[in-house]
Amino acid sequence: MSWKAACPVSDVKQDTLKECTIDGIEILLANVGDGFRAYPPVCPHMEQYLEGSGICANNVMTCDRHLWQWDMKTGEPLGPAEKPLLIYQTKEVNGQLMVFLDEELEYDFDDDDD
Amino acid sequence: MLIEIEKKSQTYQFEANAGEKLLYAGLRAGIPLPFECATGTCGSCKARVTQGEVDEGWSEAPGKERFKVVKREILMCQCSAQSDCSLSVPTKIVAFRDDDINPDHHIGVITQYEKLTEDVLRFNVEIPTNISFHAGQFFVLQAPEVNGFRAYSMVNYSPGTNQLEFIIKQNPHGGLSKWIFDSDRTQEKLELFGPLGHATFHPDESHDLFMIAGGSGIAGLMSILEYGRQVNYFKNRKASLFFGVRTPADFFFAERLRAVKAQFPDTVSINIAFSNAPPTAEQLSGNDGLIYLQGMVHEHALPAVLEGGGNVMHYLAGPGPMVDALIRPLILKSKIPVHRVRYDKFS
Repeated sequence: MSWKAACPVSDVKQDTLKECTIDGIEILLANVGDGFRAYPPVCPHMEQYLEGSGICANNVMTCDRHLWQWDMKTGEPLGPAEKPLLIYQTKEVNGQLMVFLDEELEYDFDDDDD
Repeated sequence: MLIEIEKKSQTYQFEANAGEKLLYAGLRAGIPLPFECATGTCGSCKARVTQGEVDEGWSEAPGKERFKVVKREILMCQCSAQSDCSLSVPTKIVAFRDDDINPDHHIGVITQYEKLTEDVLRFNVEIPTNISFHAGQFFVLQAPEVNGFRAYSMVNYSPGTNQLEFIIKQNPHGGLSKWIFDSDRTQEKLELFGPLGHATFHPDESHDLFMIAGGSGIAGLMSILEYGRQVNYFKNRKASLFFGVRTPADFFFAERLRAVKAQFPDTVSINIAFSNAPPTAEQLSGNDGLIYLQGMVHEHALPAVLEGGGNVMHYLAGPGPMVDALIRPLILKSKIPVHRVRYDKFS
């Protein structure tokens, strides 16, 4: 696997989320102002698709389902969220947003030992 | 049939009867499986079948949007087992509160049946045993001739009771709603499962309450007000209610709301918003202690929300689009911490 073109960077506006599928892998794209981020498409809580349920403001994303929140730049959980967002590497080449797809990132829903 | 859910830390096992929804079987056994609507629309009770055969039930359930057939993804609230099964559940299995009440199946009889407005009915269901429920919880109900459970919040509150009071809005395309509006259903039997739901009120949490309801969403909030009234909660704690209906003719529970206001005139504020008509002259005179407004309920309620939330618990109850339209500004504009919002949305 390698760097793959997702879409033109102009398609990903700040405070919005855009989903795309590359080689059968669903990816959620976000514009964090000074760069872009690519995440798995679902909330790490209950697999809600964040393109529909994610509310973005000031680089904080909130899933409107159970109100988990994250720092969109780092993926770190805020408030009641218990797990971070996973992040793919991204870069911009000739106006195209590129995502590094080595393997599909998936949340482990089994780490409930605490 | 034996159902097994494997997690790293422990394996959960429960028995499911033939035809029994897997979610109900698990909750009945005291396993706090994830769910929200419990009736097929929200998708929260998603699981993957790793072993065994199931009957998926309602194949067009809205909650199954984007489910992956190859992963054998199912809704536990719609699905029943046809053999012993193993499931994986893609979320934590964790109790909401220590004092949660195990739900169970009941057969109830409709004992009271009263039209409150042109298209809202109030009815009581009597069940054979006394049970307890948290104020704000709901049951799912199924009528004999109608396939599929629908969720209704209790209006009443009483610790240990065999009476469950509900309201229901007329929906000619609905299942249970159409059945119950068709004729007086007193003495008819219903299947029930519950109590369920986490948009609940607990006096030991000592919050002020800010409550917004659209239409029949008022049911669970009436239960919260009733509980608060019984334990004199509003002697020291404030409560603001915003209740939205279309016109003065659609307004119900006026007497009950006036009684709460009269008992706690300094701490309770009750606001009625009419979306499609102005309040009547008598309502505007202010003699009954309630405040009547014209406009969408959220337009009146949102400016009254305190930024940052203070020591306030916010309850939102109503149709999905109304609740969604409230959650965004509450979090983004009013900056309410998310743990101070509890909601109950229905489709």
